[in-house]
Formats: sequence, C-alpha cells, structure tokens
Amino acid sequence: MLFNSLDFILFFILVTVTYFLLPHRYRWVLLLAASCYFYMAFVPVYILILGFTIVIDYFAGIYIEKSQGKKRKSYLVLSLIANIGVLVIFKYYNFLNDNLTYLLGDFHYKNPVPYLKILLPIGLSFHTFQAMSYTIEVYRGNQKAERHFGIYSLYVMFYPQLVAGPIERPQNILHQMHEKHQFEYARVVSGLQLMLWGFFKKLVVADRLSIYVNSVYAHPDLHNGSTVVIASLFFAVQIYCDFSGYSDIAIGCARIMGYDLMINFRRPYFSKSISEFWSRWHISLSTWFRDYLYIPLGGNRVPKARVYLNLTIVFMVSGIWHGANYTFIIWGLLHAFYTLSGMMLRPLREFLAAASRIPGKLLNLLSIFFTLALVTFAWIFFRAETVHDAFELIGNLKSFGARPFTGDGISNMAHCILAIVLLFIAEYKMEYIQERFNFFTHRSVVVRWTAALAMLFIIMLFGVFSGGQFIYFQF
Amino acid sequence: MKPDLLFFIRRFILFILLVIITDQLIGFTLQKVYFSQRKGQFAQVTYAVDSTRQDILVFGSSRAVRHYVPGILSDSLKMSCYNTGRDGQQIPYYTAVLEATLKRYTPKMILLDVNSWELARGEGKYEKLSVLLPYCRNHPELRSYVEQGGKWEKLKLWSRTYPYNSSLFILAYNSLFAYKLPAEDNGYSPLTGEMTEAMFADHKRTMEKSKESENDNDPNIDEKALDYFRHFLSLTKQHHIKTYVIISPKILKEPINYRVRKLMEVAGEFGDVRFINFSENPAFNFQYRKFADVFHLNKEGSEEFTRVLVSKLK
Repeated sequence: MLFNSLDFILFFILVTVTYFLLPHRYRWVLLLAASCYFYMAFVPVYILILGFTIVIDYFAGIYIEKSQGKKRKSYLVLSLIANIGVLVIFKYYNFLNDNLTYLLGDFHYKNPVPYLKILLPIGLSFHTFQAMSYTIEVYRGNQKAERHFGIYSLYVMFYPQLVAGPIERPQNILHQMHEKHQFEYARVVSGLQLMLWGFFKKLVVADRLSIYVNSVYAHPDLHNGSTVVIASLFFAVQIYCDFSGYSDIAIGCARIMGYDLMINFRRPYFSKSISEFWSRWHISLSTWFRDYLYIPLGGNRVPKARVYLNLTIVFMVSGIWHGANYTFIIWGLLHAFYTLSGMMLRPLREFLAAASRIPGKLLNLLSIFFTLALVTFAWIFFRAETVHDAFELIGNLKSFGARPFTGDGISNMAHCILAIVLLFIAEYKMEYIQERFNFFTHRSVVVRWTAALAMLFIIMLFGVFSGGQFIYFQF
Repeated sequence: MKPDLLFFIRRFILFILLVIITDQLIGFTLQKVYFSQRKGQFAQVTYAVDSTRQDILVFGSSRAVRHYVPGILSDSLKMSCYNTGRDGQQIPYYTAVLEATLKRYTPKMILLDVNSWELARGEGKYEKLSVLLPYCRNHPELRSYVEQGGKWEKLKLWSRTYPYNSSLFILAYNSLFAYKLPAEDNGYSPLTGEMTEAMFADHKRTMEKSKESENDNDPNIDEKALDYFRHFLSLTKQHHIKTYVIISPKILKEPINYRVRKLMEVAGEFGDVRFINFSENPAFNFQYRKFADVFHLNKEGSEEFTRVLVSKLK
C-alpha cells in the first residue's frame, strides 16, 4: 500500500480513528494488526521473513540481557547473522552469484550455483537495520530487553516507518509504545500539516520530475549533454522529495497518534560541504552507520590513514545497503572520495578562501553550488540502470549546450519548473527565514486555513496521481 | 468526549466544507475557461466529443492527426470530413469518443487509424483517458472509460477541480496565446519539414538494435485493448457505418506481425469492415523525405497518402 494512494488515506483514517476510540491496553494490538495488513498489501508471504527476524531478535534481546561474557556476545552474533543472513539471501544472493558466474567464466567454468527466483521484500534493509539496532543496544546496555512480544513486534513493524524508515533506535521509540497517548489537537494538526507537505513533495515535485527523468534515463544513448544535466538535476530534486516526502508523511502520521519519530532530512541541498550533506541527508541511516559501524571500526580515535579507511568502508557499505548493483557501490565510493578529499584539502580551501577575500555570503553560495554539483554527479550512478549506462550519460556531457529534450510537450516541463520553484521558496524560508511567513502556525486561523487550502489545491491541480512507487521502497 | 477532540471534529467538518466550496469555485472557473477555448488540443477534443456533424470521421493517434487530410477526403468523396485524432491516444480513447459521438448523430463513414503498439501491454493508454475527465459531467457514457484509469477514479470525480489536474498551463497558454497556435484544418495538423538522410540512418540503426519487432510478435497482448477495438467495430456495425481500419504509412517496412494479425482477425469478424495496410507500401517505406519525423508523414507526404487512400475508398 503506497502512501500516495487513496487506499492509504482510507486505511490511515480508519486506523487512527479506531486507535483513539480504543482503550490504551488494546492499541498495540490494533497497530500491530494494521501494520501486518499494511505490509501484506505488497507481497503477503514476506511477512514470514519479518516474523522470522522478529522472533530471533526478541529472544536474542532477552538472552543477551540475561547472560554475561562470551555467551552474551554469542547471542548478539547469532542475531546479527540471522538479520544479515536474511539480507544476503534476499537482496545480495543473485548479485553475488552473478559475480561468481562472471569470475568462473573467465576460467571457462560453468557456475553450478543456482539462481533464486525471488522478489526483494519491500523495505527489507530498513526493518532489518532497525531490528539490528535493538539487539546491539541491548548488548551495549543502553536498552532494556523488551519482554512484551507484541510491543517488540510493533517496534519492528510500526507501519508509518516500516518500509522506508526513518530507521529508529529502540531508546527513542520503544518506550513510546508503552505510553498512553491522548488525543492532542495541536499534535494532530501539526501531523496533518506535515503529511500535507510530504504529499506536496511526493505528488507535485517527485512524481512530476520523474516523468522527465525516467524518459531520459531509459534511453541514455539518445540524449545530449544538456538533457543529461537537466535530468540529473531533476533526479537530485526528485529523490530528495520522494524520500523526504515519504519521511514527512511517516513522521506526520505517527505524530497524530502521539509518537515522535526522528527527523530524517534537514534541507540537504543547502549544505556547504559533503560532510554537512551527510549530516542532513537520510539522517537515520547515516547516524546508524556512525553508531554501529564507523565508531566500532575506531571512528576518529585512530591514525589518520585508518580514519580514511574507516570512512571508505562506511560509504562503500552504505552504497551496498542501497542495492545489489555496482552503480550503488560506485555512488558510495564517490561520496567517500568527496569526503576524504574534503578533509585533506580543508587547510588549502581555508587558505584560498582567506587569500581570495571572497565575501562570506558569496563563498557560502559557491560552496552550496559546488556541493550540489558533486552530489548530483554521484546521483547519475545511483539512478542509472547499469554502470555502462552511467558512463554513457557522462560521456554525453561533452555535447552540453545542445538544445535539450523538453519531454512530452512543454506543459510537463512547465510543471517541473513550477514544482522546483515552489519547493525552493518553501525550503529557503525554512532554512533562512524561520521567524517570518509561518503561515501554517500563524495565530490567525484565516491565514492558517488559507495556507492549508492553498497547499491542498496546489496538490490537486499540479500533482501526479498515477500512484508512482517510492524510490526507497526497493532498498 | 475530550474537549480537544470535540474542537477538532468541529473544525475538521468546517474545513471539509471549505474544501468542498473551494473545489466547486475553482472547478467552475476552470470549466468556464476550458470550454471557452477555441483553438488548441482541448478545443479539438471538445469539438470531437460535442460538435462533430461531418459525414466522415477519422479516428486515431497523432499519426491520424498528421496523416489524414479532411480537405482531400471531402473533395474526392463529396462528403464533409473531420479528423478527431489525438496525440498519444490509443484504442480506448477512440472508442470513447465514438460512443459520445453516436449519442448525437451517425456519421456515414469512419476511418480508424491503428498501430501494432495499440495492443502492447501497459496501463498508460488507460491513464491517458484522463483527458476525457472534463466531459464526464455532461457525458455519463464516458465515465466507464475514465474509470479505467484507476479504481478510485469514480471517487475522484466527485471533485470539480480534479478533472483539470495538470491542465492549467495549457489552458493559460491557449487562452493567452491563441493567436500563436498553429492553424488546423478540420482536426488535421500537418507537420512541416522533412527528415534528413542522417536522421533516417540513425533511426534504422536504433530500430535494428531495439526489440520492437520482437515485442510486436509477443503473443502476450493487451486483451482489454483488443476488446475495445472489437467494441469500436461493433458500434459502427450497429449503426451501419461504412468502416475502414487503416495502418497508415511507416518509414521502415513493417511486415505483418502478431499484433497486427490480431487486429486483422478482429476486423475480419465484422464482414463489412475493410482493413487497409500501408505499412509495407514502397511508395512510402524508406522515403524519408515524405516524413517529418520517424513516426509521422510531413504535409506533402500526408497529402500524397490521402490521395492514394481515397482511390481505395471509392
């Protein structure tokens, strides 16, 4: 069930109304049943995979808490193997097998390992990572093991964030599942407003831009450099609005029922460096990697060369996390390269900035543009179907300046530009003018309602309603 | 009940009422603007659905719009003619427009331009039926077509604004710059210019690499589209309309494939329907100077084609 479908709207209304009608002690049952239904609306049988990891991690949590020393560690390892094992089988098995076939082919051997005919379960990487963070935190002693099986299942399956995050930590969300949530007018209104903003991002911006982006990326051989630049910039905006739109709807949805989910995006395209970009983009994943991979590898408290190696590992794993394709690995490595060169060249950059006497504001603007350009370039690999396609598109950049493809008529391009302009105005206001033009929280009800109505009708008039899938569902 | 909840319910109801009023106001205004268009794509659909009275009607996609010259057909056959073709549309759209037309009058002759890709699987052709949304209020017979676009279309039609989704820019442009819109001749919009040898060679190369012919022979076809085709022909038969199903000229020779065979089979079910296939006609195949792009004849090409066609219709 997609957030951008009427099925979801009806589901959401039904679940939320029932939630507030039910006594507190039954609410977890409702939410768990709703979450199961939500997940089973995609591929029903895959609920068994979720069930498998839930059972393993539930008992692992309890046994980790009860045990000491090596035994404690072995329960953690068991849980991690189960989770990563599921990921490897369903997400990476055929990719690894492909590589084996290729490798053996070089020596004229036929690969005897069979391929699996399986579909990737929706949001597998998201709920697996959330489940892993639970056992790790219990192991570290930061979280008490959850004794209530239903509540623990709900922690993994909570429908707003089940298929595309934010990837929560048990310390933030688990206790909220025990608390009694009252109906609060202000919370509900703010949740609805956030959902509306998420729908704007998804329907008006992301799905509109995707029409152009898909037509270009489907035929990398047919398009000139100008078209590739436009399509890649559009994709940068599309993926941001697609994913952050999903997060906004998820956070808003949970907020209405009284749950606070973590923020996942903070206007990443206003970043002045790649490291800042990563503190604003998919925050729940980047902090996950920081807490559970980068720091255990030694973090910053190791020699510089080791820090660089650790960062490279983290970005590479982040690429692999996104998908079983070399395009994602290259995307991750490109970000590692950006980050490392950013760190190494920092003194030189600071020296040049001081020597050139460029005014601070202009320097910030240049930094934002430069960061956006680097990120957009890396997105080419992320979006392309194959590495060959990505290089073909990059090769086409040499014809930059030729008349670009305008898509299926000028109307769609006009919609794309309008969508980007509206998004930019809103994000610029949120980033730099926080004190003014807060129409949605204005003290006058007329202003607040006019803003909400305007947003609603912008979505109705300019949105794309053909139910485009969220990009991050595949991960 | 908690005061917060009561307050919310009161406000929510009020907000919904406001949404309904705003929806009606915006929808009403857009409806006025939409139906006041005199030129451009919306005006053409409105004319096709609401006003045609001609003896001959041409149905089809952009290839119909560019290939069939009503002036030549009228002069040669001594009957009035209108081209109802519409860019990007396929069989379900033609059937819907025909159904709306037959509520008003019965034309004497119908020329239906088809292509193998009409039977390609995909929801695109049904989603594109949304161009008919503005007409559903006055043409209930179109509702069943529009509802093919998705299971919630029926519900969305409660809104008066929704039918004009994504059409604001075209509405504004056509209203403000009507004088800039190319003139059309009874629905026919010719393309000027001609393809170059390099463009043609490039297209040949692309088609050699593409899986188009493989797809055309894939027996996994859109059966629903085939049913619409059958329905189209049964409507013309019921109304005793002389009907021709035509594949207009192609730049590359296209041998009869599985999809075309299926179209011919269905047309054959209606004894009096004639199927005319120009896809292997040497007067047009490889004659890139008669084409404006890889899909469409240019003005000179379409005039030549219409003249050749007329001789087959007489």
